[in-house]
Amino acid sequence: MAKALEISGLEKSFGRNHVLRGIDLVLRSREVTVLMGANGAGKSTLVKVICGYHSADGGSLELAGEPFHPQDAADAISKGVVTVHQSIDDGVIPDLDVANNLMLDRLAKPGSGLFVRERKMRREARRIAESMGLHLDVTARVADLEVADRQMIAIARAMVGDPKLLILDEPTSSLSATEADRLFSLIDRLRDQGVAILYISHRMSDIRRIADRIVTMRDGAVSGVFEADNLDYEGAVTAMLGHRMTEVDIDPVAVDTPILQLNDIVLRQGAAPIDASFHDGEVVAITGLLGSGKTRLAEILFGLAEPLAGRLRLDGKPYAPRSAREAVSSGVFMSPKDRAANAVIGAFDIADNMTLPFLEAFSRLSFVKTRAQRNAADGMIDRIGVVCQSAEDGIGTLSGGNQQKAMIARWLLKPCRALLLDEPFQGVDIGARRDIGRHIRQTAKGRTTIVFVAEIDEALEIADRIVILNEGAVAGEHINRDIDLTRMVAEVSGQQDAA
Amino acid sequence: MLRRELMKLACATGLAFGTGGLALAQDAPAPFDNPQDVTIALVRYLSTGDFFQAYLSGVEEQAKALGVELRVLDSRQDAALQADMVDQAIALGVDGIIIQHGLTESMKAAAQRAVDADIDVVAFDVDVENDSIPQIEQSDYLLGKLALEQAIKDNGDSFTAGYVYVPGIAPLDRRDVAWEEVKKANPGITEAATFGTLDNPIANSVANQARSVMQANPNINVVFAPYDEFAKGVKIAVDEAGLNQDIDIYSADVSTADISAMREPDSAWVATVATNPAVVGRVSVRALALLMAGENVGEQVVVPPTLITQDFLNENDIKNMDDLSAKMPQFANADVATAEWIPVPGK
Amino acid sequence: MSGERLLNFAIRYGFLILLIGMVLFFSFAANGFASPRSAVFVLQSVAITGILALGVTCTLVVDGFDLSIGAVATSALMLSAYSMVILEQSAFTAIVLCLLMGAFVGLVNGILIVKFRVPDLLATLGMMFLLIGLQRIPTQGNSIATGMSLSADSVAEGVFSPAFLWLGRHRFDLVIERLVPVPVVIFLVIALAIWAFLSLTRHGRLMYAIGSNERAAALVGTPVSRYKIAAYMISGVTASIGGILLAARLGRGDIASGTNLLLDSVAAALIGFAVLGAARPNAFGTVVGALFVGILLQGMTMMNAPYYTQDFVKGAVLVVALVFTFYLSSRRGAGGKV
Repeated sequence: MAKALEISGLEKSFGRNHVLRGIDLVLRSREVTVLMGANGAGKSTLVKVICGYHSADGGSLELAGEPFHPQDAADAISKGVVTVHQSIDDGVIPDLDVANNLMLDRLAKPGSGLFVRERKMRREARRIAESMGLHLDVTARVADLEVADRQMIAIARAMVGDPKLLILDEPTSSLSATEADRLFSLIDRLRDQGVAILYISHRMSDIRRIADRIVTMRDGAVSGVFEADNLDYEGAVTAMLGHRMTEVDIDPVAVDTPILQLNDIVLRQGAAPIDASFHDGEVVAITGLLGSGKTRLAEILFGLAEPLAGRLRLDGKPYAPRSAREAVSSGVFMSPKDRAANAVIGAFDIADNMTLPFLEAFSRLSFVKTRAQRNAADGMIDRIGVVCQSAEDGIGTLSGGNQQKAMIARWLLKPCRALLLDEPFQGVDIGARRDIGRHIRQTAKGRTTIVFVAEIDEALEIADRIVILNEGAVAGEHINRDIDLTRMVAEVSGQQDAA
Repeated sequence: MLRRELMKLACATGLAFGTGGLALAQDAPAPFDNPQDVTIALVRYLSTGDFFQAYLSGVEEQAKALGVELRVLDSRQDAALQADMVDQAIALGVDGIIIQHGLTESMKAAAQRAVDADIDVVAFDVDVENDSIPQIEQSDYLLGKLALEQAIKDNGDSFTAGYVYVPGIAPLDRRDVAWEEVKKANPGITEAATFGTLDNPIANSVANQARSVMQANPNINVVFAPYDEFAKGVKIAVDEAGLNQDIDIYSADVSTADISAMREPDSAWVATVATNPAVVGRVSVRALALLMAGENVGEQVVVPPTLITQDFLNENDIKNMDDLSAKMPQFANADVATAEWIPVPGK
Repeated sequence: MSGERLLNFAIRYGFLILLIGMVLFFSFAANGFASPRSAVFVLQSVAITGILALGVTCTLVVDGFDLSIGAVATSALMLSAYSMVILEQSAFTAIVLCLLMGAFVGLVNGILIVKFRVPDLLATLGMMFLLIGLQRIPTQGNSIATGMSLSADSVAEGVFSPAFLWLGRHRFDLVIERLVPVPVVIFLVIALAIWAFLSLTRHGRLMYAIGSNERAAALVGTPVSRYKIAAYMISGVTASIGGILLAARLGRGDIASGTNLLLDSVAAALIGFAVLGAARPNAFGTVVGALFVGILLQGMTMMNAPYYTQDFVKGAVLVVALVFTFYLSSRRGAGGKV
């Protein structure tokens, strides 16, 4: 098979952070290559180099035998490398109709006519849609279509320029199983047309369905390649996670008093109800794929969403928070995921950021007691190890890991009954991750701690107990001691029966 | 409020009945022998403010007195819309149109279209460059001239003046002609400072400026502010600076609020010159009516202004515009564009 | 390193140095500029827009905007005149009515924005038009003054009470007799209060947090909706105070759209972003911004500059301030003490 893209010795660093350490990889036409890798393994950086967002520091890229050095994303597209990103609405213009969306790149091209010839454009658009097996009304507004159709249109748009390489970044993350099926048949069709496809996903069901080949990445290097006749899914998962996950020794605590209890909580229509208890001093990790319901569960516990059915109890008493405010005043704290969007106050310094939830405690007659605030922040900075000049540094001057430490420290300033940490290790380097994990475990007494993570190795690093969610229901539960990894991976991907 | 409305309504019906009888007796020429079939339109460019409000009421009164139907089309300072509104009026089949203010450029063609459609048109305070359209004017030049003559009478022909002026506003530009003329004729008058702004509230903004001007030019003893909002602003500044014995303000236009400001104890605002906007409104309708009846009103219909001094207001204890009209007949009615068959409102 | 320090210095003190330079320039160039009276004039001329600007600062802090302040001020102007001249109420009643009106308008603005999810600019724009129209309805578009005809045979007998006019016209002795007008004192008091509220209290801190990252603020348990509504209510009340002072100065109920009040006060608040390199709305900056414009206009008027150059200069100052704020500050990196 023809080589579509050949990558050799690719290097990329951001400052001192060596993200890609000599990647060698060949992507072939008529083949779907699945790329797997844990957070921070470097797969998104690799994709960004290929599609022109970043330039490589070293190594070379060859596209169909020619040297390939995209100046920017537009250059990469014109040379035949097209990417469809995870967020669907980045790929379509919701307020325009299907025809306009499909022909958008042509409209944007300099030298195309001044006037839009609607009929010709529709005819052309219909031809493109047909050629991909999409049967829909090209005059429909994209915003009115279903998610899967929108995703297909984003892909169809990408295909207008006859690309050599199509990169799909977690395209099924917001699709249902039947919708995903339609996407897979489109991918089959494109593969048959001779396109090389790089498919990034964690969903085992996706991977089993479409992968011709699996490449795993770990710590900026390719850690495993599994070819067509010998697709070893479990092997791929192990290669992706590596064997370093047992570096942190956890001695699971003995549980006694339950603090937070879930009685018959139903996360989504048709899913089995969840019963669970979270105990004093215990750190529980809840893990699962995107869409497994863990975000939903976190929202319910923090008063941002309501369960379809079931009740919560906190310290034996009914607990039904209707807002974050009520949750906080009941003693349930949450550090949300995606700190930039949900936690960091960019305009504030570290001290203000840390003390934000408890400003009332740091003020007298509403006037903020700056000294008390600084002392508290300084203490926290020392204990959790935030690297900074002083508590008055702007939060924006900190690295991602240190920002995350500050965001978690925010909720450790005051005692609570339940501490919820949603993706606390997102965008955090390994050192900071260990610091945060250690501190969480050290201070775990007197509360129950629930950590929501998508990555199994992160769960293994911090938790006494791991609860696995799949499709809104509990798929497995493990005390963190001599865990059967293969079984756990199977449970995560919803394959426990097969395993 | 309700009471006011009812009173108005009662007056209006009274007028209508009264004048109906009158019109019959006087044998009005066609088309006013059947006034209920006559529709006239007022197409406005400016409408906000006491002056324009009073003008409108004059138009309404005179239209009622004639017994004709009045349509008011208000473009709210949208020049293009105003031109469209003339076309609208043509389409409505009105018999006469009063164009109130506007821009020559935008209104010239529209006015011509109305004339072409055999509609009689008069224009108030806008030159539509059309021989068959008489101009109603309140003679801004005379307003300025009379005020300045009074200033010279009071202060002699040499004084240091502050002048409030914003160029580019047609009536102010015409008043400015009088100022330039008087300055040239009287070398003893020195213009120490020119200022002015139309930032609203105008009086407040002008007051801020006037304060600075008086601080910089303590020798100013006369301020010529040929627009009542300007005069109000200057008066506030004069009061705040405690200079009300040292400075005299001469202005143009008048309203009830102006009267009370002029009559405040030790008010620096000593005289104003004004035409009664309601009278101008009535004259506009009368001129149009004459034109429609086939009479010649000439190219220009000028409504003469009246000098109103503080002393006169105090001597006659005038509190508002109605008092002013009662005590000053030349202000209440202008003997312009009249005819036997046209009833005068309120008489 | 010294380049960076120079940049920091320029961002922090550039505007204040410009202000001092301007004062020095006018002191030499404009006769009578450098005097205590002149200084008070500047304060008086910016007092009303300054008060409005402080209100709009509060809405800017929560990342909102209030376009209705000018109309609220002129509505308060009309309302106070209406209640005293036509309804013949006392000064106290008139003031209370105006303040309630301001608070109510702010509440409606806030509810439109928070509950009905109308974008702030649109909600307050709608409110602006509504108020401009509303203030004309009771008098059919006429200004209100004592003696105005109410019907064929009655005139408005009420007067602006002396106590009310005192607010706009009285001057306190300070070294020189009759020096400091009441509006200036009120302006300074409100400035101090808003400054203390925004930068010293936890409520102010939470409002800044909402403005910087609304979601994050909500997720730490801040009642975001309540704070946003409060910000619009503060803005409404300060605007109505501005309107009351305007009425007391003019001594009559002038119909006016208040657009210039709005624009001048927004300009002051935006210029305030640049003061001390704050790069965010702040009360001190707003006051300096208002003074900056006031001094500039006072000096130029004293030097006999025509009115249109003043708008030009105002615009130029605003553009320079915005460059300071957005370009220089972004180069320095964000964040720091409020």
